[in-house]
Amino acid sequence: MFTEASLHVTMRVDGPSVRTVLVRSTRMVQAARLFAGKQPAEVLQLLPAVFSLCGTAQALTGLAAMEKAAAIAASPAQKAARSLLLLGESVSEHGLTVARDWPLLAGAAPSLDHAKRLRHALAGLRAALYPDGDWLHLGGGQLRPDTARINTIVGQCRDTLTQLIGHDLDELMQPIAFMAWLQRESNPLLALVTNRCWQGLGAGAAFLPMPELGPPDLSARLQTDREGIYLARPDCAGRVFETGPLAHWHWHPLLTDLTDRFGTGLLTRLAARLVLLAESLREMDEHRHDLRGEPAAPLPRLDGQGLALTEAARGLLAHRVVLKEGLVGQYQILAPTEWNFHPEGALVRMLTGAPADQDLELRARLLVHALDPCVSCTVAVE
Amino acid sequence: MCMAVPSKVVAVDGQMATVEAFGQTRQTSLLMIEEDVRVGDYLVLGAGGTFAAEKVSEETALAAIDYLSQVLADGLA
Repeated sequence: MFTEASLHVTMRVDGPSVRTVLVRSTRMVQAARLFAGKQPAEVLQLLPAVFSLCGTAQALTGLAAMEKAAAIAASPAQKAARSLLLLGESVSEHGLTVARDWPLLAGAAPSLDHAKRLRHALAGLRAALYPDGDWLHLGGGQLRPDTARINTIVGQCRDTLTQLIGHDLDELMQPIAFMAWLQRESNPLLALVTNRCWQGLGAGAAFLPMPELGPPDLSARLQTDREGIYLARPDCAGRVFETGPLAHWHWHPLLTDLTDRFGTGLLTRLAARLVLLAESLREMDEHRHDLRGEPAAPLPRLDGQGLALTEAARGLLAHRVVLKEGLVGQYQILAPTEWNFHPEGALVRMLTGAPADQDLELRARLLVHALDPCVSCTVAVE
Repeated sequence: MCMAVPSKVVAVDGQMATVEAFGQTRQTSLLMIEEDVRVGDYLVLGAGGTFAAEKVSEETALAAIDYLSQVLADGLA
């Protein structure tokens, strides 16, 4: 029986507060080992098929790792096209969260129509860039950007998000506009958080954002991780970083303003999702100007080792590959969830010591949601 | 990993489908799928399986299932 991977969070209460938080994971962190012996192209076809939520990011990170191993430099136009695909996946994922999951968490009806419109618009992005479908060709596929179609897709995303949120997303990035929007209670989850005074939930815990270029010892730790211990429980000199929208955008003016008011708690984390949406659309606009038509690149001999990092929808994603005589010799994947749901990670830090009242389970669920695991996650109180 | 098992559609009832993977059947919502879904199609489900996320080709689905079978056989699942 193949059981879907999941996370299980158990809070052990002692008197008035949570004494310990246990995180059990059934995630298959070593499954990428089985890519060994396969052709690189075969692995690149498998990656988007077996990863449900971030298939584009997984595939593009794998592609970049293989290109580094083989000393292939993708052109600026190919990089721009790949960035568009990556950002499009982030917009789709976080747009889906705001449209579907935020209302459900607050007991309101989801806005599935908006979620569907976003997905439908972005589903055409690959074909608008790589009409031959070879977006995972090493060195770059046949790039024939349909600029008008891409403009329409980005425009449709922006319009849909504006309708969903009830406010222009770019304007909302101004702290004054955001606070006014918040007071109008135009979003059921943010209204719940405000009405229950949960804006600063979890803000007392240490905030350890992932360094922009990843942990400095990442390459060395992956190379020596024969048993997969680091892949399951990563750290950097004992520190367990947090990755994701807040860690990546914590310096953004809206988020620094909210951090000043409420700390790096629940509201700031939820707002970071909106910042990521706004900034992703802005970056998509910028990358459009770097696109140009290019033929597919010729394939060189594939030997060497490469490590690639991508800021995926849920945070920093790392792939390391060793290529030997044209085949994959070793493959490792380190995903954001292993950092955020580490037994000593951000969730555990935020929940340890939390007041053990009747809302504890709901508050824990909101914090789990704010850290956005890529698998289902149960919460229990003992 | 957030690995997904492509699931084969065995029944469709309006916006709900019954899907099967590795001998396990479950219900999933088709509300997020734009394309027409029929019995015999393969779907990738989102986390938790409540909503189907994507329709995939049979070739892609079978390649993924083959790989996931290896993961299971090697005790990595």
